[in-house]
Amino acid sequence: MALPVEAQGLRKVYGSRFGGRSVAALDGLDLSVQPGEVFGLLGPNGAGKTTTVKILLGLARPTSGSARLFGLPSSDPESRRRVGYLPEGHRFPGYLTARQTLSIFGRMSGLDRATLGRRVPQLLERVRLSEWSDVRVKKFSKGMTQRLGLAAALVHEPEVLLLDEPTDGVDPVGRREIRDLLQEEAGRGRAILLNSHLLSEVERICGRVAVLRSGRVAAQGRVEDLTAAGTRYRLVASGVDDRLLAAFRETGASIERVQGHFELTARDLDHVNALVDRLRAAGAKLEELSPVRSSLEDVFVGLVRGDEPVRANAA
Amino acid sequence: MRALAASVEEVFREAAARWTLLAYFALSSLFILLFALAVNLDIVDGALAGARLFGKTVEIGDRAIDMDRLVLGFESGFSGFLYLVGTFLALFATAHLVPRFQEKGTIDLYLSRPVGRVRLLLSRYAGGLLLAAANLVYLIGSMWAIVAWKTRVVHPRFLLSGAVILFSFAALSAFAFLVGVVTSSTGVSLMATYALFFLGAILAAHDRIAAAVSTETSARIVQGLYWIFPKTAELGQAAVALVAGREAPDRLASFNGLGVFGSTAAFAAAALALASWLFSRKDF
Repeated sequence: MALPVEAQGLRKVYGSRFGGRSVAALDGLDLSVQPGEVFGLLGPNGAGKTTTVKILLGLARPTSGSARLFGLPSSDPESRRRVGYLPEGHRFPGYLTARQTLSIFGRMSGLDRATLGRRVPQLLERVRLSEWSDVRVKKFSKGMTQRLGLAAALVHEPEVLLLDEPTDGVDPVGRREIRDLLQEEAGRGRAILLNSHLLSEVERICGRVAVLRSGRVAAQGRVEDLTAAGTRYRLVASGVDDRLLAAFRETGASIERVQGHFELTARDLDHVNALVDRLRAAGAKLEELSPVRSSLEDVFVGLVRGDEPVRANAA
Repeated sequence: MRALAASVEEVFREAAARWTLLAYFALSSLFILLFALAVNLDIVDGALAGARLFGKTVEIGDRAIDMDRLVLGFESGFSGFLYLVGTFLALFATAHLVPRFQEKGTIDLYLSRPVGRVRLLLSRYAGGLLLAAANLVYLIGSMWAIVAWKTRVVHPRFLLSGAVILFSFAALSAFAFLVGVVTSSTGVSLMATYALFFLGAILAAHDRIAAAVSTETSARIVQGLYWIFPKTAELGQAAVALVAGREAPDRLASFNGLGVFGSTAAFAAAALALASWLFSRKDF
C-alpha cells in the first residue's frame, strides 16, 4: 500500500537570480510517514523543513529526488485531494467570513454545497469559532486565525495533515486544544506531519521525529529512542574529595558538581561500575546513581550544534 | 467545475469587499445619472423640435432634425468614449487579481488544493472577465435604455460597443496577468498595461512612423511591433464603426477587421499561455 507521505533523495537548490552563489536547501532527504502516525519535522531556521513540505505539496519543485503523497507524485494536483495543509504565517482573505472561507476552500477541494452545509458548522464548533462564523477573518486574533486554518485543513476530511507551526501565536489553552485535536485526528487514522519549533509539544504529540540540519536528516527515529538514557548519570555521594574527582577524570570520565550532586558521564556501563568501585575504595559513600534521560531539546540542540553524532533512523 | 465556481465567486467577493466593485458601479451610475438628468429632448413627429442640456436650451434653428440619425450619431460617438473609460476602469478594477493571489501566506492556501495551477490562474482570469462584463452590461445597458426612453429610438447596435470593450479588456487583462505573474506587483501590472494601450494606439500610425524612420530595419521593427501588439486605436474605431453600421464614415469603416481582431486575440492568447506556463513553473 502506498504511504501517505514519502520522500526519497530530495534535493532542492535555490539559484541566485543573477548567477550568484546557489544554496542547497535540501540535500538528499529521505522520510516517510505511516497512516495514523504523528511525525515531527524539526530543525533550526533554514534547515529545510518548510521546503520539504512545499515540495510535498507541489508548491516548489525538487532539483532531484521524488516526493509522493499516497503514491502520487507531488506534481500531480490529484495527490493533494487527500491532504490538508496549514501553512506557517497563512493569510486567509480578510474580506471572507469564517463560514465563507471554509465554503470556498471546501469547494476547491471538490466538496458540494450540501456536504459543506453540514460540515462547516460542525468544524467551526470543533475549533470554537461558531460564534464568529459570520465575522470577517480580518477581525480575528492570531489564535483564532490559526484555529480557522486548522478547520480549513480539515474541511474535506483529509487522510494526511501537513501542519507548519500549528500552535504559532496560540495561547496555552488554545495550544492544548489544538494538541488534543491533533491526537484525535491521529486516533482516527490520519497521518500527520508536523513542523514545529516547540520541542516540548513535539515530544508530547509525535511518535517519530526527524531532525534536519543543513538540508539533511541528522537524526530520525522514535522520540523515546532519541531521548533514551545514554551514558550520563546523576550521582549523589558523600566523602567525595577533589583527589577522587581528579582520579575519575584521569580515566576519561567527565564529572561536575551541580547543586548538591554530581553529573557523571562515562564511556559505558563497565566504566561506570569501575568508577563506583573506585569511589567505594576511596571510602566515599554512594547514596544515589541514576541514568539521566535527555529531553528532545537536549538532543535537538546537540544535533544542531554538531555536539551529537548523526543518528539517522534511530528506530 | 466546483473549484472554478468557487474561485470566480471569490473574485467577486474580493471586488465587493475591497470597494472596487462598488466604486466601479458607483462611477458608472454617476455617469448614467448625469446623462439621464442633463439631457431633455422635445420630440415632435419623430423629429427633434427642441433640446435642453443641463437646463440650458440648445439652439437648433428651424431645421427638423431626424431623431434616428441624431441617436445614431450620439451613440456611435459615445461608444468611442465608453471604449476608453470602460477599458481603463475594468483594468483598474482587476489588476490586483494575480499579485494579491501570489502573496506569501495566501498562495499556499490555494495551491495546496487539488486544482491545477493553470486552472486556478484561468479561473481568476474568467472571474475578472465576468466582473468587467457585469459592469459593461450595467453601464451600456442603462445608457441605451435612457436614450431609448428619452428619444423613443431603439437602436440595439449600441450594445455591440460593449462586446468590443470586453474584447479589448480581455486582451489587455491577459497582458496584466502576465506582468502580475512575473512581478507580483499591482502597480507595475497596471502601469505596464496602460503603457501597452498607448503604445498600441501610437502604432496605429505605423505606416507613417515606418516612413519617417531612417533605416529599413527600424521600419520593419515598427511594422512588426504593430502586428504583435493589440490594436487599441483600431478597436476603439471598431466600436464606433460597429455602432454606426452603414452610417459610419469611410475613414472609420475602412479598418481591417480580421487583422485587428485576429492579431489582438493572438496577442492575448500568447500572453495568457505564457502567464500560465510561468505560473505553473514558479516556486512559492
